[in-house]
Amino acid sequence: MFDLIVRNGLLVDGSGAPAYLGDVGVKDGKITALGKVEGEARRIVEAKGRVVAPGFIDPHTHFDVQLLWDGAARPALEHGVTCVIPGNCSLSLAPLKAADRQRVVGMFQQIEEMPPAAFTEAFDWTWEDFAGYRAAIEKSLSINVAPLVGHSVIRLWVMGPAAQERAATPAEIVAMQDMLRECLRAGAVGLSTSFVDVDENGRPVPSRFAQFDELDALCAVLGEFGRMLQCVPEFYDTDLTIARIDQLSDLSLKHAIPTTFSPVFDNTATPNNVPRTMARVEEQFARGARVWPQMQTRPIDISFSLLRPSLFFARLPRWVRILRQPLEQRLAALRDPDTVEKMVADLGPDGGARMMGRLIVRGGDAAPEAIVGRTLSEIAKARGEAPALALINLSLENGLDVAFLSANAGHEVTERIGPMLAHPLVHIGASDGGAHIASFSTYGDTGYLFSEFVRGSGALTLEQAVRKITAETADIWGLKDRGRLAAGQAADIVVFDAETIGRGEERPVFDMPGEGMRYVRGAAGIDTVLVNGEVAYAAGAYTDAKSGVVCV
Amino acid sequence: MSDEAVIVGAEIVAGHDGSAELVVRLRHPNGTEAPVVLDEVTGLKLMKNCGASHVDDLTGQSWRRIVEGS
Repeated sequence: MFDLIVRNGLLVDGSGAPAYLGDVGVKDGKITALGKVEGEARRIVEAKGRVVAPGFIDPHTHFDVQLLWDGAARPALEHGVTCVIPGNCSLSLAPLKAADRQRVVGMFQQIEEMPPAAFTEAFDWTWEDFAGYRAAIEKSLSINVAPLVGHSVIRLWVMGPAAQERAATPAEIVAMQDMLRECLRAGAVGLSTSFVDVDENGRPVPSRFAQFDELDALCAVLGEFGRMLQCVPEFYDTDLTIARIDQLSDLSLKHAIPTTFSPVFDNTATPNNVPRTMARVEEQFARGARVWPQMQTRPIDISFSLLRPSLFFARLPRWVRILRQPLEQRLAALRDPDTVEKMVADLGPDGGARMMGRLIVRGGDAAPEAIVGRTLSEIAKARGEAPALALINLSLENGLDVAFLSANAGHEVTERIGPMLAHPLVHIGASDGGAHIASFSTYGDTGYLFSEFVRGSGALTLEQAVRKITAETADIWGLKDRGRLAAGQAADIVVFDAETIGRGEERPVFDMPGEGMRYVRGAAGIDTVLVNGEVAYAAGAYTDAKSGVVCV
Repeated sequence: MSDEAVIVGAEIVAGHDGSAELVVRLRHPNGTEAPVVLDEVTGLKLMKNCGASHVDDLTGQSWRRIVEGS
């Protein structure tokens, strides 16, 4: 007797092999039979006309805090993601002494943009060490978690405030090694570090004060466990990124560890960035190094409001001069009819239709509900105004607190991005799930992979796309019983419609502690998600299943 | 030819964090050119430092203006 059988699906097993029709039998949380499965089961999931694939693995998230009150990491799970890797970019919530909590909360708020209530109302701080954090999240997981431990917090644990002031002494480096070892034994999947991130005051995070010998010593510990080093390099400069690729490669070879870095993305203004980066990655892999570049699938949007100056207007001199004034003078200028007339005239005879017409009002701020999600062209037409004038007046009517979105402004050329994602050495990830929550949605990248690059451009086959975000990811990270439909593997399974899988429209929701706002995207085309053999999501709703585990 | 790197072009791009960023192209004394991506705060500061109200006004400025006052 099986616990569950998924019947009559098109099995895409994660290996890249051609899909085939069949069933999947599940017992005790594991896949125990594949193909034509005979026998009875307590539950049947009918999958006729649907793809049955291993659950997707998201290797770059910041769900560290959210997992303490939302064990499904919503909406990640409804997109078919059955395993998330939090703790990226040098930051995790453990190990962390009580006295240092506020300092790390500031760093998290800088990255995640979570409201303060998320850290004061939503959970009890019951831990200081990594094992304690693991125990805290394990109580109610619906999704699997493979947590990284952050270099910055290890440094802070050992050095206190000096972690953001100086290099470590030899004794402090040994203490960091001991702490890392303890975290890896307690279930960390690796170490994350950053050469870029800052805290809420704009100061470099602790990991950025490390000298090479410190990183080298920590990687020696990773080598004892064969675990991952995740890194944020100076991605704004290709030459510096290449230098970091070389450094990561040397660490990979010396300590026999995998390494990964992100973000890597394409912009038309820097068209050589990805090709040069990938050329160096190929060279280093040829040497035997494992240095995986993570690339996101989704395009990058620009968002702004008139509350703060934005480079979005950097081709409009008058707008630049007015918007960089202090708030009172800015408001006075925007209320002056003569000034506004000149600002609108600067856009040319179309009144801004070409440059601003496709801007979308985002919501989640002071924008009236009725206009959220509509384009500035539509709104301007309804108001009988030119788009540029509508932008100014809408902003004035709402205390300037109206956010506008310029969609698909970077990493957006499908014909360029598709082949990059299909490259055998590109690790699809870098979603940043759970971060930047008040700026843009970081969910639905897996759906977008299928809608844009499988169904749309055909840059990847269905089987290739599934492999990229399942077996390949599991192999890169050393998640031994995840990522494949195979006997003995954990029964993390997603059933989806290959014709409709995608991501929904971005929308604001107020579901963070303290009624904090975040942007999310719902899923399309996902029927059923199983986590360790239990149905965690089906027919558009989450179940009560709490079958997620720390899966390292 | 200048004996230090100068800005020979600038363009607005989408940044990783959803803000608008500035890519300035620097020409070095040996004739090579390379882009540098500036985040929104640094890009706006550069424009202010240069008295620029249009990205094209940055052309010809020294690379030193990028780090001025930072």
